[in-house]
Amino acid sequence: MRVWDARLLQDNLPAGKQRTEHIYDYAGSEENRKQINKHFDRLQTRLILGLILGFLLPNALLSAYFHFQFTHTLKNSAILSLEAVADNQKNALDLYLRERIANIYNLFRSPDFTLHPPQEVMEGYLRTLRHYHDGFVDVGFLDPQGVQTGYAGPTPELLGSDYSDEPWFQRLMQGNKNHVISDSHPGVRDTEYFTVAVRQIFFDKVYVLRATLDPDKLYMLLRSTVQGSNVESALINAQGQYQVVDPKISFISKSSAFIPPPESPDQSVGIHELDIDDIPTLVAYAWLTETPWALLVSQPLSVAQAGMYRARLILTISLLCISLVISGVIFYTIRRLINDARRMTTKGQQLQEMLAHASKLASIGELAAGVAHEINNPLAIIMATSGVIRDMLNPEFELDHSPEAINKELAVIDSAATRAKGITKKLQEMGKTRMPQAEPCDINVQVETVLNRLKKVELRGKSIDIQLHLAPNLPPILAEPEPLRQVFNNILLNAADAIDDKGTITISTGVRENAVAITISDTGRGIAPENLERIFHPFFTTKGGHHGTGLGLSIAASIVKYLGGVIKVNSTVGKGSAFTVLLPNNYYCPLT
Amino acid sequence: MNNTIRVLIVDDEDDFRETIVKRLNARKLKAEGASGGRKALEILKEKEFDVMVLDVKMPDMDGIETLRHVKKLTPDVEVIMLTGHASVEFGLKGMQLGAFDYIMKPAPLTELLDTIGQAYNKKKEGA
Repeated sequence: MRVWDARLLQDNLPAGKQRTEHIYDYAGSEENRKQINKHFDRLQTRLILGLILGFLLPNALLSAYFHFQFTHTLKNSAILSLEAVADNQKNALDLYLRERIANIYNLFRSPDFTLHPPQEVMEGYLRTLRHYHDGFVDVGFLDPQGVQTGYAGPTPELLGSDYSDEPWFQRLMQGNKNHVISDSHPGVRDTEYFTVAVRQIFFDKVYVLRATLDPDKLYMLLRSTVQGSNVESALINAQGQYQVVDPKISFISKSSAFIPPPESPDQSVGIHELDIDDIPTLVAYAWLTETPWALLVSQPLSVAQAGMYRARLILTISLLCISLVISGVIFYTIRRLINDARRMTTKGQQLQEMLAHASKLASIGELAAGVAHEINNPLAIIMATSGVIRDMLNPEFELDHSPEAINKELAVIDSAATRAKGITKKLQEMGKTRMPQAEPCDINVQVETVLNRLKKVELRGKSIDIQLHLAPNLPPILAEPEPLRQVFNNILLNAADAIDDKGTITISTGVRENAVAITISDTGRGIAPENLERIFHPFFTTKGGHHGTGLGLSIAASIVKYLGGVIKVNSTVGKGSAFTVLLPNNYYCPLT
Repeated sequence: MNNTIRVLIVDDEDDFRETIVKRLNARKLKAEGASGGRKALEILKEKEFDVMVLDVKMPDMDGIETLRHVKKLTPDVEVIMLTGHASVEFGLKGMQLGAFDYIMKPAPLTELLDTIGQAYNKKKEGA
């Protein structure tokens, strides 16, 4: 509850100050407090979410970026190291095979070489080969028809076998190389071997020395040159069949799922990524120079990127921890700030309520002082007049003491007493705060009723032109009709009093922003700016003598305020005043 | 011969003013009434007075304003301010501006007569 503020009642507020229409006043109400709380709750949620997003989103984006970069780099380095392994092994394998070819080739150069080598010589050859490398299994000499005419090794029954149909023999005869290495093939005792054969021409005939080698030795070589964990090496032929491989793999499958593309001249080592048994795996491949075999070096991606997984785990955990800490700090800080603000607003609200209460009390004090003053005036008259009568009755003063003269003085006392009674009656009306008999009132009807009443007495004898501009279909106002009429009555009386002898009073009604507006304007004297602020104060009057009590506008203002409305004044000295009563549309039933 | 105190009563309340004038005249004072500040100033220009009783709260021109003019126009007239209950400060203000005293309404006639007498004596001493 705020006591009406005279400044709100004026239209001509100081420039630069935006006028706000205080038709409803919620200050201090429970509704207002709820709204403030709701506002702060919303603010708190928005601030917390906004700050958390603002801090964590860039954090998360940055982490994602670094994670991506890190993964990429790690994969690249894994590829590089795997390629290096493949290159090394390829060179080692080529060197190994070339040495074996040289071992056999040297037999043609040995001093005891003949085109029909006897068994002792063959045995000597085998010893010589084994001396160079213990992977040699046997050795044989083939005549130009491909028949083995000399043999030394664990299976002597091979002596006399015809090799002319063997693929490696045909490759050796047709190719332009003097040596060949066969794919591995099952030997007599179900073990895998591969054959190295070298041809030499004597007297226009082609003779061949062949030897079989145990691929396990090759596998050992591969194993010994491997670096890094979980790196698997294997050799396959052009058809993808395993030649040298980890026995575990060859047990499951005889051929590789991946056959590398043909060798390209600019790149000896290639890289390929594929799923082996649903495990993403990196495979580095290289074609051997000595034979159409391909070396495959594979490593599962998970092993290659093990460092990355660890780093990612640490990154994720630390990101989560930081996020939680920051969120906690933000939440705590914002909540404290908001609570402070909320407390301060509540305090301000309480102060405002106290202020409103204080100004109400001040208004009551003002009223009391005014009442005392106003009642003192008639009292002074009564006292003075009773003194005159006493003087009259005192022969010493030689005054006229006829009953007529005394009656005249008594009449003065009566009129002063009536005036005092009028003041107290009006005060009672003003003090009335309850309006028990509210009913929907048509403002136009009320204005006309008041006007008709005034025309009979107060406005009679004055040449005042009254103009009516009443809007049709005005929404009704829920109020007691008599106080409402009193508002118009008091304003109209002031308007009439402001007009000296001739003038116009214009009454217009209408709807303005969900309120019913009644404007009563006159062409009278107008109100001086210094008085504008005081016209609603109780007992303020410019009428003088006992014409006015100074309560008319004060009563009108309190009635309008009770109805939730305001009175606005616009006045120019010498031109007239306009009083606008705004009453909120509080009755929503449509008129039929 | 000039032993009669000449008093000007200024008040906008007709009944009050006329009654006081009547009672003062009955007590062998020479009292006259003025209904407002302007009227009082006009009368002062034509006639001489010893004491002036001036109501503070009047429309048109209030007591303080009138007092200022009176002190400029005829400084030797002693002024007694008549105040309502709520406007003691106006009485004090009047004293600062050169009024002789102030009386609160409603006052018994004897008090008014007393103060008028004192003011008259002060004026005679000053003269």
